[in-house]
Amino acid sequence: MKEEHSWGWPIASYLFLGGVGGGMIVVAGLADLAFDRGEAFSLGSLIAGIAIAIGSGLLVFELGRPFQFWRVLSRQKAIMTAGAWMLSFTILTSFAYFSFWPDFSPWRQLVGLRYLVAGINIILGLGVCIYTGILLGSLRARAYWNTPILPVLFLLSGLSTGVAAQALLAGAWPYRGSAADVEAAHAALRSLDLTLIVFEIMVLFLYVVMMRLAAGEVAARIAAKWLAGQKSLSFWGGLVVFGLVAPGLLYLIPSAAAHLAAPVLILIGGLILRFLIVFSDERAELPGESHYYSRLPKPDAPFLKAWD
Amino acid sequence: MARFAMVMDTRRCIGCHACTVACKVNNELPIEMIYNPVFTHGPNGVFPHVSMTFYPHLCMHCKNPPCVGCCPSGASQQDADGIVWVDQNKCIGCKACIQACPYHARHENTKTGTVQKCDFCKERVREGLEAFCVETCHQRARIFGDLDDPGSAVSQMVKSMHTLQLLPEIGTDPQVYYIVAPGSQA
Repeated sequence: MKEEHSWGWPIASYLFLGGVGGGMIVVAGLADLAFDRGEAFSLGSLIAGIAIAIGSGLLVFELGRPFQFWRVLSRQKAIMTAGAWMLSFTILTSFAYFSFWPDFSPWRQLVGLRYLVAGINIILGLGVCIYTGILLGSLRARAYWNTPILPVLFLLSGLSTGVAAQALLAGAWPYRGSAADVEAAHAALRSLDLTLIVFEIMVLFLYVVMMRLAAGEVAARIAAKWLAGQKSLSFWGGLVVFGLVAPGLLYLIPSAAAHLAAPVLILIGGLILRFLIVFSDERAELPGESHYYSRLPKPDAPFLKAWD
Repeated sequence: MARFAMVMDTRRCIGCHACTVACKVNNELPIEMIYNPVFTHGPNGVFPHVSMTFYPHLCMHCKNPPCVGCCPSGASQQDADGIVWVDQNKCIGCKACIQACPYHARHENTKTGTVQKCDFCKERVREGLEAFCVETCHQRARIFGDLDDPGSAVSQMVKSMHTLQLLPEIGTDPQVYYIVAPGSQA
């Protein structure tokens, strides 16, 4: 069934930016609470807040009536309403966490409060990573989204892209500590990201293979497109090789250039994953449906405009 | 209380598309928007054992409408009589309901930015009038009524005949029932 995609690139980009931002503040929060290394990741929290804010901006931009966006906060029971509240809070707490670090910060000394914000950020960051998977996964009409493994995949991808983004930013302003500490933090991020990538590859493998073998006819058809059809180049080339396996290997090479290239590739891979998922939104065909819609005039057919 | 539903007697439908047109004209839909298409299934089989069935379509006004639970603004709602509709003032055009609907019954209006759908002509049916698609159907293939009234035509047909629902496996419990001649089922 050929059909226009109701959700396009703004949603895919938001899914990516939300995942990256959520992952980044989880890293910063854990580094602060567990290892007392929060300062090295403070700029990352600011960037995370900006990324989530841009993502939320894309969501609003994608609405049919952007100026009515506040209504999204008005209903208690919808998943999207919970997500909108969570995104709003996460943007604020990400900025709040950053505000503890610069020299000019009036509340630099309030370490206890900072720990509290770091803890809240870990919870909200995980929530932002998972929530989009729950939102898409709960849509039973979309066979390829409607699986419990989707939130797991989004969580792992969000965390690994968040770690990658932090690896690019760790030790930047307003960090004042020693360079040796930053090097140790980078080494820790590399092994963490490698672990996450390995898990992400396994979950991705299970996702696509089980959709191909165990899900219904629609999902199996989409999985076949990923594995050996129209989307196989983006899936194998873009996501698996370029976005997961290559950066994993680059992390293992002891070279500064490789350690710079790996996180960039992981970020690109995360973006490709979101685009692949968002555009795999086919639903089951109703009897006779595709024949009917294939015979309708194209929107730009001249006779449709003749009476305008 | 009423529970509105529709029975499509595909044995009677001749595929004239009058319901499609009546709906578009009377509800003043934009030219590219169709609430109730009539799908042609078939011809199937090999001569002389062939069949072709017309499936008149519209919003299924499901018992478990997935398009209502996902709406973040409360615009998409279901009334006590089962009618699912969209409050155009509250809809923000997030299109979550379009993604949630397995039946392609929801349509984005690019002019207003909102999502629109068939509402069973709720202003008319609540006054005892017929929906436009039902009123125009000269073959009486569309039968509308109240499932809570045991004497209504829809109640008797759903109770006494073998009917199909579209995509029942998704669990929406659609309230449009199809009577399909034996041997021509999809």
